[in-house]
Amino acid sequence: MDLRIDPDELVTCMQCGLCLSACPTYRVTGDETYSPRGRIALMREVQDHEAPLTAEVIEAFDTCIQCRACEPACPSGVPYGHLIERTKETLTDRRHPRLRSLALRALRMPRLLRFGSSALALAQRARLVPKPLATRLGLPQRLPVRRSAHNTSGRDVYLFTGCVMDAWQRDVHHAAQRVLEAAGFGVTPTGDLAPCCGALHLHAGLRSESLGLTAAVDSALDPTIPVLVDSAGCGAHLKDHSSLTVYDIQEFLADHLDRLPEVTPLDLRVAVQDPCHLRHVQKVHPATRAVLRPFVREVAELDDDGMCCGAGGAYSVLEPEMSGQVRERKLDSINRLTPDVVASANPGCSMHLAAAGVPTIHPMQLIAQAIDG
Amino acid sequence: MSDLVDDLRAVLGDRVRTDGAQRALLRRDASVFEGGSAGPICLCDNTAEVQHVVRTAITHGRAVVPRGAGTGLAGGAVPLGEPVVISLARMNKVLEVDVDARIAWVQPGVVNLDLSKHLAPLGFHFAPDPSSQQVCTIGGNVANNSGGPHCLAYGVTNAHILAMEVVLPDGEVTVLGGLDAEPAGYDLRGVFVGGEGMLGIATRVAVRITPNPPAVRTLLLSFETTRQAAATVSSVIAAGIVPAAMEVMDQRIIIAVENYVHAGYPTDAGAVLLAEVDGLEGGAEIDAARIAEIGRAEGATAVHLAEDENQRALLWKGRKTAFGAVAQVTPNYYLHDTVVPRSKLAEVLDRVYEIADRHDLLVMNVFHAGDGNLHPLLLFDAREPGVYERVHAAGAEIVEASLAAGGVLSGEHGVGIEKQPYMSMLFSDDDLDHQERLRRAFDPACRSNPGKVIPEGHSCADIQHLRTVPEGVWG
Amino acid sequence: MSLDAFVDEIGDTGPVSVAGARTRWDLGGTLDPSARIVTAPTGVVEYLPDEMTVTVLAGTPVHELSQVLAERGQRCALPDRGGTVGGAIAVGENHLEVLGRGTLRASVLQVRYVSAEGRLVKGGGPTVKNVSGFDIPRLMTGAIGTLGMIGEVILRTNPIPATSIWVESSDADPFTVADVVLRPGVILSNSATTRVLVEGHAPDVASAMEALRKLGTWNECDGPFDCPPHRWSLEPADLRSLEGVHVASIGVGTAWREVEQPRRNLPGPVVEISRRLKSNFDPTGRLNPGRSVI
Repeated sequence: MDLRIDPDELVTCMQCGLCLSACPTYRVTGDETYSPRGRIALMREVQDHEAPLTAEVIEAFDTCIQCRACEPACPSGVPYGHLIERTKETLTDRRHPRLRSLALRALRMPRLLRFGSSALALAQRARLVPKPLATRLGLPQRLPVRRSAHNTSGRDVYLFTGCVMDAWQRDVHHAAQRVLEAAGFGVTPTGDLAPCCGALHLHAGLRSESLGLTAAVDSALDPTIPVLVDSAGCGAHLKDHSSLTVYDIQEFLADHLDRLPEVTPLDLRVAVQDPCHLRHVQKVHPATRAVLRPFVREVAELDDDGMCCGAGGAYSVLEPEMSGQVRERKLDSINRLTPDVVASANPGCSMHLAAAGVPTIHPMQLIAQAIDG
Repeated sequence: MSDLVDDLRAVLGDRVRTDGAQRALLRRDASVFEGGSAGPICLCDNTAEVQHVVRTAITHGRAVVPRGAGTGLAGGAVPLGEPVVISLARMNKVLEVDVDARIAWVQPGVVNLDLSKHLAPLGFHFAPDPSSQQVCTIGGNVANNSGGPHCLAYGVTNAHILAMEVVLPDGEVTVLGGLDAEPAGYDLRGVFVGGEGMLGIATRVAVRITPNPPAVRTLLLSFETTRQAAATVSSVIAAGIVPAAMEVMDQRIIIAVENYVHAGYPTDAGAVLLAEVDGLEGGAEIDAARIAEIGRAEGATAVHLAEDENQRALLWKGRKTAFGAVAQVTPNYYLHDTVVPRSKLAEVLDRVYEIADRHDLLVMNVFHAGDGNLHPLLLFDAREPGVYERVHAAGAEIVEASLAAGGVLSGEHGVGIEKQPYMSMLFSDDDLDHQERLRRAFDPACRSNPGKVIPEGHSCADIQHLRTVPEGVWG
Repeated sequence: MSLDAFVDEIGDTGPVSVAGARTRWDLGGTLDPSARIVTAPTGVVEYLPDEMTVTVLAGTPVHELSQVLAERGQRCALPDRGGTVGGAIAVGENHLEVLGRGTLRASVLQVRYVSAEGRLVKGGGPTVKNVSGFDIPRLMTGAIGTLGMIGEVILRTNPIPATSIWVESSDADPFTVADVVLRPGVILSNSATTRVLVEGHAPDVASAMEALRKLGTWNECDGPFDCPPHRWSLEPADLRSLEGVHVASIGVGTAWREVEQPRRNLPGPVVEISRRLKSNFDPTGRLNPGRSVI
């Protein structure tokens, strides 16, 4: 069947296999079916050679975390991200997962999302959410019931607040704003102005919904003001698809280190976990280290070459088994390093790791703590 | 057929793959060759499972093909007929490191570079470093007796393997070689390395680990012509220097690589020589200075010394990903691998360019010059009708030119399917007959990766038959 | 004698053996007295220092080859114990300075040998790197002429280091030497004294000596110890517990002792493959009857 992949893109892979060891799902399974080379070959089998879409083939595509670690590993520059996005999109159209698209539609309605989230938080407190379900959904151990409001302090920069993150981790936004203000920037949190960037939708194969949401963000914001993003997934999506000037917040601050106050560093050994969309897509992960270094005792490196943690947006919910195996690998690496805390600049990663008992925090929260003493 | 799968699953459970599309993936490795199709794919976790699969295959009259990361370039892991595929990729543990004895026991699925990374905190590495080292496995290195840029001084895989636990083609498990200085008996360990999976399957490997040299100097010498770079290589060896590595790239490949890594390769140079010396500070300094001097005498337009580890790593990244980087130019390539006497490098290279021109193909050259190991890359777009005929015709002429210059068929990729038709150009009937006698001593029933290396007429396998297994026997 | 004449002399029938200098004549068992004894041709056929290869006939004395190589500043991995090139390869033992010179097996690039059927057969190839076909040179090295009679070989050569000195110490721990000397030529110990061959560029030798002095007091000496007659193959770790009169090659596992090493038993499947090799290569058992590596 036609997967609607551009044949010129599909032909670029020459099957050298140099991507294999960069792929988290190949690493944990040792099965080429779950590797970039294997998935591309399957796309060819399906699109060019009329291979049937068996359960095994669909699973091979479904289990791709879309971390895109294979892209920098590929010397031929195969646009794997596009290939798998198109494939997932075509399969989604075909399978009509109504429930999933309904759930994703809620993300564009911030009030509903926050209401639902608060209700879930109350239910959690009342022990009405069974633990297995909470784990499966990757819920934080304690969802916030109430969130303190956003405040605008100026128009030097936008702080993009997004959907799920704003509902579940508004603390991170407040910390990011605190750090920006300490550096002398007036901040406008985007809040309900631009409720959702559409990244999760594209991940799930809902292309038109996604691009609609991104366009809404573009038209709602002033294009002369830089947009800072403290979620790596949203940042990567906006950089790819929005017409605005978008920076990852660490990337932006790394260029303004001299504006940050000199304070006593926190007495912590911090392991940096690179969100895939920061490392492999935005490729700005060195900035996280540069920004953190003055504010903590030690920035330590994990020994797994920035391999994915298994979160992958909604992936941990949709493919819990594979996601868990990939996380195990990350946990092994963290255990070998024995840090006090793991810094992750993506809400999905930090929730996924926290669910396995790893003390995880956003780099901006660490810096805000150091600044506030 | 389902009996076979049931019997395999009795021990491996769901780690036996039978889906048609999944099996189609393993029709190929990193080469352009296709053979038959994969039978059931068995993802083994330990020696006992490998043994079970081999024995089950024998019971059902089926051959087996072992597979590591599938990065081979000669079709060694390509299934002929419809053999049971044994994947060793999951057996990826470093079992034991003995720094005192300088030995590590590893499983065959350990990735070459992972082993060196594992050893790095101890101050050691595994010396063979094929360009695919970020992916290829130790088991694959053993099967192909893999080389790599740093084998000039350190020797190829065979020099770094002490002992192996293997599952023999009849399903027996034994240990070949030993950790002692000079193991007794015939050197079956030495013979097994480079056996391309036809002598059995290694399931545990004792490798020698090499101390990291405290001093490394990496030089990048630019030349106007490939000929000058090749002449420099000969002169360096003639001067009594055996560098850790000497690699040459021609201009076309320099441009492709620089586009990808931005390592500072001079895109206006006709060729570069990447030379590395290592050891102690004093000696490395002396050798580096000598190489620079020799290079200038041979006409080097620039000599650049890598300033730090970062720059050195970038230069090597460029060299090691060169093959893939050419995809920016055309979607397909055919990478050749022949060896010629060092003194004939320049002459054979001229022939290579001429041959490619005549067949209207773009050729790029990047090679282990220190070993005389040529790697001409023929570039093409597979969608162009009739292009494969031209590629193979040019390839055959390159092999002929290399042999005519006193060279050999393959320096490190192995024979597999690719070089099989050329074997009789290098070896007489008697020579080939003796290679087959060796193979038969390990595998009298012709069950392990049959149809490779030894050409038709000398091989136990009916190669024509293997290549014509009807499609769709799986339904 | 030419290689062709050697082929004719081996012929295709009747028990036959090849004698070199008979330095290891009884290795692998006593030769059946019915065997006809042939000698191999001698001479260096082609020496290409720039390629680091030499083609040499099997009957050539090792010391003659070494002289030819030394004239161009090179050396090889063959041990020189008064024997021939073919004999050294058939026996397969390494040079005493194996850490510096590399193993004998790794240095044999190509062999041309006479088969049991009286044919001249080639394995391997002339270049320093080669994976064309199965590794027949490895099979023939150390096979004591039971699978074929070696007539000519191509060996890899290497430059002789700019500086080399032998030093000895009576207070340094021999097992710590390799930790401080990056590439020693060999480390020998007779349990009372340690002798080390230090080689390389002059500044490297100087810095190695500086490092060695941290382990003990060192004096220059003439060369290796006189070794006891019997060669043992042990794991390097076993050398720590070696008792009695001996010389041990630290990090390698070779030891020389007053008594012979007990027979080392091979695993059953290895014996079976070895028997098949013998019967595939020498179906009538005419090559070196009475001798066996199994």
